[in-house]
Amino acid sequence: MVNKHDVKKRMRQLAADYIHEPQQEAYKLDDTEMMLHIGPQNPIQPGPFLIDLKISGETVRDSKLYMGYGHKGIEKILESLTYIQGLPITDRMCYLSSLSNNEAYVSSVERLLDIEPPERSQYIRVIMQELSRIQSHLLGTGEYATDLGFVTMFLFMIREREYVLGLIEDITGARITHCFPRFGGVREDLPEGWREKAIDVLAMINEKCETYKELFSSDRTYRMRTVGIGTLTKEDVIKVGLTGPALRAAGIDYDVRKVYPTLTYPDIDFKVQTGNNGDIFDRIMVRINEIQESCWIIEQALDQIKPGPLFPDELPYGRRTPSMRVPPGEAYVPVEDPRGEIAIYIVSDGTDKPYRVKVRGPSFALMQGLPPMLENVYIADVPAIAASMDSCNSEVDR
Amino acid sequence: MDGETVLDSLKSQFQDAVMDAMVDSQPPHIVCANVDKEKIVDVCAYLKDNLQFNRLSGITSVDFLDKNKFEVVYMIASYDHSVIVKLKADVVRDENPSIDTVIPVWWNANWYEREVYELMGIYFNGHPEMTVLVLTDDMMGEWPFRKDYPGFPQTAAKYPYSDDQESVVESEYPLKWKSWPSERHYLE
Amino acid sequence: MCMHGRKARSHGCVEKEVIMPKDIRTPMQVITTTTSAIHEFLKKSPAQDVINWGRKNSLWFMTQPMGCCGVEMIATGCSHYDTDRFGIIPRCSPRHADVMVISGYIVRKYFPALKRLYEQMPSPKWVICMGNCSISGGPFYRSYSTLQNIDEIFPVDVYIAGCPPRPEALIQGFIELQKKIKAKTDKGTMYGVK
Repeated sequence: MVNKHDVKKRMRQLAADYIHEPQQEAYKLDDTEMMLHIGPQNPIQPGPFLIDLKISGETVRDSKLYMGYGHKGIEKILESLTYIQGLPITDRMCYLSSLSNNEAYVSSVERLLDIEPPERSQYIRVIMQELSRIQSHLLGTGEYATDLGFVTMFLFMIREREYVLGLIEDITGARITHCFPRFGGVREDLPEGWREKAIDVLAMINEKCETYKELFSSDRTYRMRTVGIGTLTKEDVIKVGLTGPALRAAGIDYDVRKVYPTLTYPDIDFKVQTGNNGDIFDRIMVRINEIQESCWIIEQALDQIKPGPLFPDELPYGRRTPSMRVPPGEAYVPVEDPRGEIAIYIVSDGTDKPYRVKVRGPSFALMQGLPPMLENVYIADVPAIAASMDSCNSEVDR
Repeated sequence: MDGETVLDSLKSQFQDAVMDAMVDSQPPHIVCANVDKEKIVDVCAYLKDNLQFNRLSGITSVDFLDKNKFEVVYMIASYDHSVIVKLKADVVRDENPSIDTVIPVWWNANWYEREVYELMGIYFNGHPEMTVLVLTDDMMGEWPFRKDYPGFPQTAAKYPYSDDQESVVESEYPLKWKSWPSERHYLE
Repeated sequence: MCMHGRKARSHGCVEKEVIMPKDIRTPMQVITTTTSAIHEFLKKSPAQDVINWGRKNSLWFMTQPMGCCGVEMIATGCSHYDTDRFGIIPRCSPRHADVMVISGYIVRKYFPALKRLYEQMPSPKWVICMGNCSISGGPFYRSYSTLQNIDEIFPVDVYIAGCPPRPEALIQGFIELQKKIKAKTDKGTMYGVK
């Protein structure tokens, strides 16, 4: 038998943990209001955060966000690792689209080293970025669909995502955290037979996206839940400072691939997808349109790519030196992440480790813009709005 | 709108507040400038009102231990044109480093300044809510990103929370945060 | 690849005499004398095999994506790497779950919530450590904000190494847990506790 006195002592300790002051005094609530916590473990997004909602009846009056449940101190860790050792760590900042993070880091260091990758490497990097964008949009839109209760769409999109991950895995060897670009080039070349397989898969995804657009827009209940809800007008979006699909859904066409073109994006012809109103419906449509646009970009890149070397002929440090010295300076290169604009600001002082690394992530602005959007909204709309922003919490906390 | 135009306009408006201004030679040609700490809000307001810089990309800070200063770096961009401006303000590294907040100019500077405060220790005068964003409550005051922070890097395994208060585990590696977020009283 | 029964230590840690508190690995039991007497009797009888067969073939895990391994955990529970064929489905609430998969780095700010989630799960419950970060800190072991050696607090049955482990590795981890339950060597059903 368990000792009764031990158990009672333990129960008293647990009870002591749970006692706290009356909530009316702490949060200045009226008689009609209540505090609702959607706790750190939440089904809304992959990644923990806490929302405190002050509700009165069914409407939300005020909300407050608490972040930091995934803070690892990545920027401090990167100061104690060499540049090439820091590359796998940048993978794991936003794990849903790790190739864009790698690209931002590698571009910044290449600016400091003053080298440029050859053309074949640039095309391969463009292809990988667009593939990463496709799989991230599929997962993000699928997670949003589960929060509405539309679980079938999630299962469909995960099934398509596995084909795209198979394509990525043929080149890089990993499913999520790739660590693929290198300073001056890429790690591996495209294997044989990959081009035909890619064209088949992309044709299939293009066709499925038409089905998704029809499924997402024809249902009357779905339209009632998403059209006109969670609206951010053009002025709101500029005030909050968003980038990415959440900005383009409001009608502003600002895409980092067009404004700060890097790699071979100037040679590729594509359109920037925008929406009209800035509500949930438009954000999802912008993402699905972007998937189709990415398929088109990859086909063009596969047509234009030519055989060639992967690294430039003369590198200042040697190709695989682990302890290369980077000249002192600062670099900041914006890259288009599936969620917005990511840029890594590196300050180097001439040694083999960076002096200060600052990651400017897109999800920071997305989460900062969430509390003003949740005013006078029903509780049942809160998961839909939070999930349609599609932010990655580990990038906010880093 | 060009980098050179922005540079000339800034130099002509603020002769003594803006020093060492130059345009980067590599893309994306960033305009870098050192700004006096007192005039930062004026420069930012001028950039936003006259030169259409309506997006604040980020605020960060760099710690220079040997030169005894902090540097607060503002990255400012725009939705209308493609010029990026990088402003740097020097703050002396004494007991209470502080600088004015730019929230009156850009609304989204709120969380960036909170993060800089809790990680580096620079106070922003006029900010409505200087509380923790990514750290725990009891780590406020430790300024982990400074160069002389003693708690980094950890090389030994750390034991988490234990029930027994007198054990060796708790006294060597204390985990003081035991309060639930809802029990904190700063939701005003 | 999973390693159960072995602990991975990060290099640099010193073995020292540590006074561990009592009851650190056994979850709290609610006292109802007749029911617990019945449970103790059943645990020694052949009926426990039937109960274990039922429990191991429907292990529901709590989706708690804390880090990069969380995405692989979600992908395992869904269409392609179907776990439903083994009876394993993902549930969001701790009250509905049997297995807690610690997928990802454990941050000091999140740790009390993790402990409370574990206490909210009804018995019998099992813990699987997925990924290098929960076993020994992973790539973030130098940080001031992550915790290591989480198996000093939770009774962990299966360790799955990898960064992140493939979905097939997670499925093998569940199957090893099923084998352990069948062989009555797991830590979730409290066989030796009086």
